[in-house]
Amino acid sequence: MSKTPDPNSTGASGSKSNREEATIKVPSKDPKKKDDKKDEDLSEEDLALKQQLELYVERVQDADAGLQKVALESMRQEIRTATSSMTSVPKPLKFLRPHYGTLKGNYEKMPDSDVKKLLADILSVLALTMSAEGERESLKYRLLGSQGDIGSWGHEYVRNLAGEISQEYGKRQSEEAPIDDLMELVQQIVAFHMKHNAEPEAVDLLMEVEDLDLLVEHVDSTNYKRTCSYLTSSAKYLPGPDDMLVLDIAYTIYMKFEEYPSALVTALYLDNTQYVKQVFTSCDDLLRKKQFCYILARHGQTFELDTEMCAEDEERERLQEIINNTKLSEGYLTLARDIEVMEAKTPEDIYKPHLLDGRASAGASVDSARQNLASTFVNAFVNAGFSQDKLMTVPSEASSGAASTSWLFKNKEHGKASAAASLGMILLWDVDSGLAQLDKYFHSTDTHVIAGALLGVGIVNCGIKNECDPALALLAEYIDKEDPSIRIGAIMGLGLAYAGSQNEQIRDKLTPILGDSKASLDVLAFTAISLGLVYVGSCNEEIAQAIIFALMERIESELGEPFARLLPLGLGLLYLGKQESVEATAEVSKTFNEKIRKHCDMTLLSCAYAGTGNVLKVQHFLGQCAQHFEKGETFQGPAVLGIAMVAMAEELGLEMAIRSLEHLLQYGEQNIRRAVPLALALLCISNPKVNVMDTLSRLSHDSDSEVAMAAIVSLGLIGAGTNNARIAGMLRNLSSYYYKEANLLFCVRIAQGLVHLGKGLLTLSPYHSEHFLLSPTALAGLVTLLYACLDMKAIVLGKYHYILYFLTLAMQPRMLLTVDENLKPLSVPVRVGQAVDVVGQAGRPKTITGFQTHSTPVLLAAGDRAELATEKYTPLSPILEGFVILKENPDYRDDQ
Amino acid sequence: MVDHVTTIYQCTLPFHEYKINSRGHLPFSTSKLSHPNSKQNQKPLPSPHPANAEAPITMVTVSVKWQKEVYPAVEIDISQPPYVFKCQLYDLTGVPPERQKIMVKGGLLKDDADWSKVGVKEGQRLMMMGTADEIVKAPEKGPIFVEDMPEEEQVVNVVLRKKYPQFGQQSNGAFMQQDAEECWTQLLYTLSQSLKLPSSSEGLDVVKALFGIEFDNRIHCAESGEESTETETVYSLKCHISQEVNHLHEGLKRGLKSELEKASPSLGRSAVYVKDSRINGLPRYLTIQFVRFFWKRESNQKAKILRKVDYPLSLDVYDLCSDNLRKKLEGPRQVLRDAEGKKAGLKTSVKTSVSTAGDSKMTEAEESSSGSGEASKSTAQEGLLPEEEHQLTGIYDLVAVLTHKGRSADSGHYVAWVKQENGKWVQFDDDNPILQREEDITKLSGGGDWHMAYICMYKARVVPM
Repeated sequence: MSKTPDPNSTGASGSKSNREEATIKVPSKDPKKKDDKKDEDLSEEDLALKQQLELYVERVQDADAGLQKVALESMRQEIRTATSSMTSVPKPLKFLRPHYGTLKGNYEKMPDSDVKKLLADILSVLALTMSAEGERESLKYRLLGSQGDIGSWGHEYVRNLAGEISQEYGKRQSEEAPIDDLMELVQQIVAFHMKHNAEPEAVDLLMEVEDLDLLVEHVDSTNYKRTCSYLTSSAKYLPGPDDMLVLDIAYTIYMKFEEYPSALVTALYLDNTQYVKQVFTSCDDLLRKKQFCYILARHGQTFELDTEMCAEDEERERLQEIINNTKLSEGYLTLARDIEVMEAKTPEDIYKPHLLDGRASAGASVDSARQNLASTFVNAFVNAGFSQDKLMTVPSEASSGAASTSWLFKNKEHGKASAAASLGMILLWDVDSGLAQLDKYFHSTDTHVIAGALLGVGIVNCGIKNECDPALALLAEYIDKEDPSIRIGAIMGLGLAYAGSQNEQIRDKLTPILGDSKASLDVLAFTAISLGLVYVGSCNEEIAQAIIFALMERIESELGEPFARLLPLGLGLLYLGKQESVEATAEVSKTFNEKIRKHCDMTLLSCAYAGTGNVLKVQHFLGQCAQHFEKGETFQGPAVLGIAMVAMAEELGLEMAIRSLEHLLQYGEQNIRRAVPLALALLCISNPKVNVMDTLSRLSHDSDSEVAMAAIVSLGLIGAGTNNARIAGMLRNLSSYYYKEANLLFCVRIAQGLVHLGKGLLTLSPYHSEHFLLSPTALAGLVTLLYACLDMKAIVLGKYHYILYFLTLAMQPRMLLTVDENLKPLSVPVRVGQAVDVVGQAGRPKTITGFQTHSTPVLLAAGDRAELATEKYTPLSPILEGFVILKENPDYRDDQ
Repeated sequence: MVDHVTTIYQCTLPFHEYKINSRGHLPFSTSKLSHPNSKQNQKPLPSPHPANAEAPITMVTVSVKWQKEVYPAVEIDISQPPYVFKCQLYDLTGVPPERQKIMVKGGLLKDDADWSKVGVKEGQRLMMMGTADEIVKAPEKGPIFVEDMPEEEQVVNVVLRKKYPQFGQQSNGAFMQQDAEECWTQLLYTLSQSLKLPSSSEGLDVVKALFGIEFDNRIHCAESGEESTETETVYSLKCHISQEVNHLHEGLKRGLKSELEKASPSLGRSAVYVKDSRINGLPRYLTIQFVRFFWKRESNQKAKILRKVDYPLSLDVYDLCSDNLRKKLEGPRQVLRDAEGKKAGLKTSVKTSVSTAGDSKMTEAEESSSGSGEASKSTAQEGLLPEEEHQLTGIYDLVAVLTHKGRSADSGHYVAWVKQENGKWVQFDDDNPILQREEDITKLSGGGDWHMAYICMYKARVVPM
């Protein structure tokens, strides 16, 4: 434990006891002088005690065993009854200090007997303040002593002992000496700690001696929650396999105490399907199973229930429906109606031109295709999932299709693809109506419209699974069409619809494209990304091979193009968060053409360690960025993003990464500076921290237009779905500042749309469940967009603006919707406030601060936590996010 | 429903032997159908009875989901091609078969697929996609985007800025305010370069005929007694404003006399010359600029003179003209005076009958345009008489004023006030036209923070000869 950083002040007994030893030892450096001095001003009482103790010491040296025993027992009595404040050494210990050496000498001379053990016990306690550092005499004498109740000597003694044990354990491990006696002691200490609200210390000790399994025996119903919360939060700071081990124990404990939702969340963190199944089979309460399904749905996990998990066919179907997210649209619209934001918004409502002075507001008489395209995206982002808007859909009574058609054709060429696809975004998650409304575009003669319709089908199905597999049925026949835009539409649509599903049919359909030497590079890139999304974090060998071959076969000149750089990303997504599993592939990538080699290496590393908080990897990336090259090297962009991807896991690493990125801004080359805003965006996605906002605002006026564009888009990303007034104001000013610069203005518009994403009901954060779980598909979607933004001009500002729709993968309602036992929305009062870190704190501390009471459904901002403000119901999940089923509390008595 | 049935006959031509009942099910001959009752009560078919196992099972009941609706019991005759099934669905949903997309395992259901290979199961839920909506058609004429246009048309200003880079000056990212007079001069210059009268052989240009003012300059050095004359053509008269100038006429007069210093060949050093200008040729339209902006050296900026300078609605430039020109003008002026006298006579002598048609026109015009009769008269006559018979009189009528509001040359607001054909004045404030009274036009003479005249445009009063 002492090797890893200390997560909070109460943790880590090892380091703590060391610290105390140090403080106590300060006076012992020059004991005589001080003691002499003190002798003079000792009170009478103390003097008596001192003389008494001196007498005991003399008697211990006596030859008579009986006398010795009496003396020792009296001495023990004195020590045990002594009380003292935190800052000073108990008086008996202080007075006995000069005699420690004498007693030690005496002990050596004594024959083995009970008395000798008694003396060993006392020496063990005295060693607490006396023994030189590293000697571990306290432990030594403890092992020689009577092995009695360890707690009888007090808490501090136990802590000190624990510290010495971990040192001794390390030493014995290296010498391969037996550790049985130590483990016996550990048992005692752990039992003591667990009984006395010191779970973190018990956990730390067990981690030091690498025997966490012991913990399971000692937890009980009063302390398992605190124990597990300490285990799960410390997992983020542990290296290598230890973190998995720790979470494994947490899972075991949760299962032991039937805390299934938490067990499920832990199982999801471990990405262990077996454990997930176990949770389902262990629990026989149908309602609780429904809650599990909601948790799985939020995580975007593809999961098939079998008869073992739910025997009844009809019930299983209903559970599967929840996992398939079929009710997400309904819940989201319930929230929207409750908050009264159903009214569709136009892009003008977002731009708010009336707040700007004169010139920028003057509407041009001629349509600008670029600005119309921006409006298409803004309209799609703002009205995402609401099933209605003012450009693409028209009310059913006026279903002539006139308005919809006209807006579609107010976009130019490839812009029409994005416009048609935007209908999918507006009808997000509502598969039935979405497919019906998109149908008309399938019969168009315009290839761009068809491409957009295909993409729209993918967007509508994003995160939703349907037993009929409409997306696959519709899109499959288009992936081998001649027209590249139709192909890309179908391929990207499949990627969005089946992200994370590991659907073999899709693999079989898409992998041949990678081997097709006639396919253009852009088709290839989208295929690789889609395969990466469908098989995200799966380490699938077959697909990895296919992408590697595609990269090797392409001629050198193509490898320098922007789209070639998306192929390694597809490869990286296969290993998202899988750490060492990437190594074999990373080795192969070293044989690539030098144009892409470094880039591929960075991409693979950053994907594999995404969300792990691995400090060594962050340092590795920083090292890569510190190099200066004459010509802009493309691999440094992914390296900068890699810092963010790895460090985004936990708060401390995140803050450090933000600071490091500031340095890169100052000292980095231009290609690094362009990536920094994007890295900041990933670190603070949908979480507008003021310092980051200021940095980005500054960069949005940068003289390098690419830095400015990245900063503007990043402003949108950090404010995504927050309606943050400050960012909205900044962007409005930027829109008038850049009103002549079409490219920058386009970025500003996109950012404005993002800030008002889903009218402020959505978040892009891949983290959920109190920032514990990371949704791999959401992260994959974000990373894909950020990679595309590394070369803004070629991709987003070129013909491939629909790459922005990859954000759909990360879009989730940031809500708490409580439902009753029939899964109907139920309004209850809840307190919503800033979450407080209570890990390792004793008692029942407040978990939120600065709260307000609302009735559900409510919105949760980044870092917010909710708790029920009524006793009438009990939630079936400890994490109040997304859908939570409430059960009536049988013990509840109404006051009236 | 009747419509559907009729259409379905058309679309099911190859299968015309099947009749479709109103519930959307195809009736079958009893030999094919093992359970004739099941058709009536609409229940899913029970699993095959062992009793009639010899008859091939051809009916499968599925539920079909279309949009938000579910059709719970739809029977499929798996011995028939799926097209028949689609026709059934057409009856239920109104979606034409060719627009139906039915999702089955492994893709969409093809019209000619084999049901046994598709593998539908009893009670399976199928999903159908498709609408009877109108198919999206591109508008005949697509919108025109800024990006499509040739660069020059995107903004008119772009051309101006390209031709005269001085108008493209920027400060703080925005284009700076420019001088209206400078712009006017440049426009006239450009026009004079490109517009030539096709008839005139010697290249007499239109702009010069319309706006050009010919000057006779006499440069005289008091010290050496040297004297020289030259002619020059300018496009506007300058009204210099100083302490003594209260009226346009005074300003113009002062503008004709100027002192300049130049090297004198006889003295061998620079000497003060006096330049005395006289107008030798008058234009059809006289442009007058009030020199209100000047470079203030001490504050290093373009300052504006706010002094009030009156200008008349009709201007006589006779005393600015050279003797030559005066002689030429005498005749027409006399005619004009006579005409006016006559008119005055008409007015005084009540109920004298109007003699000529031209005169009657004059009075009509006068009546209609209340007080601006002279200008209207000339307009009226222009239409009647050929060009060459017009003679300038040296008298001009005000037809347009360009005003500037604001304290400096780099800021403020330019507004045009223009007299219309009907004699009414209209103020053009950006894209916002406002009707104005004639008496208010003379109040734009400055002296405050209100709009003040910067450029005045006068139109010559002509007489027929």
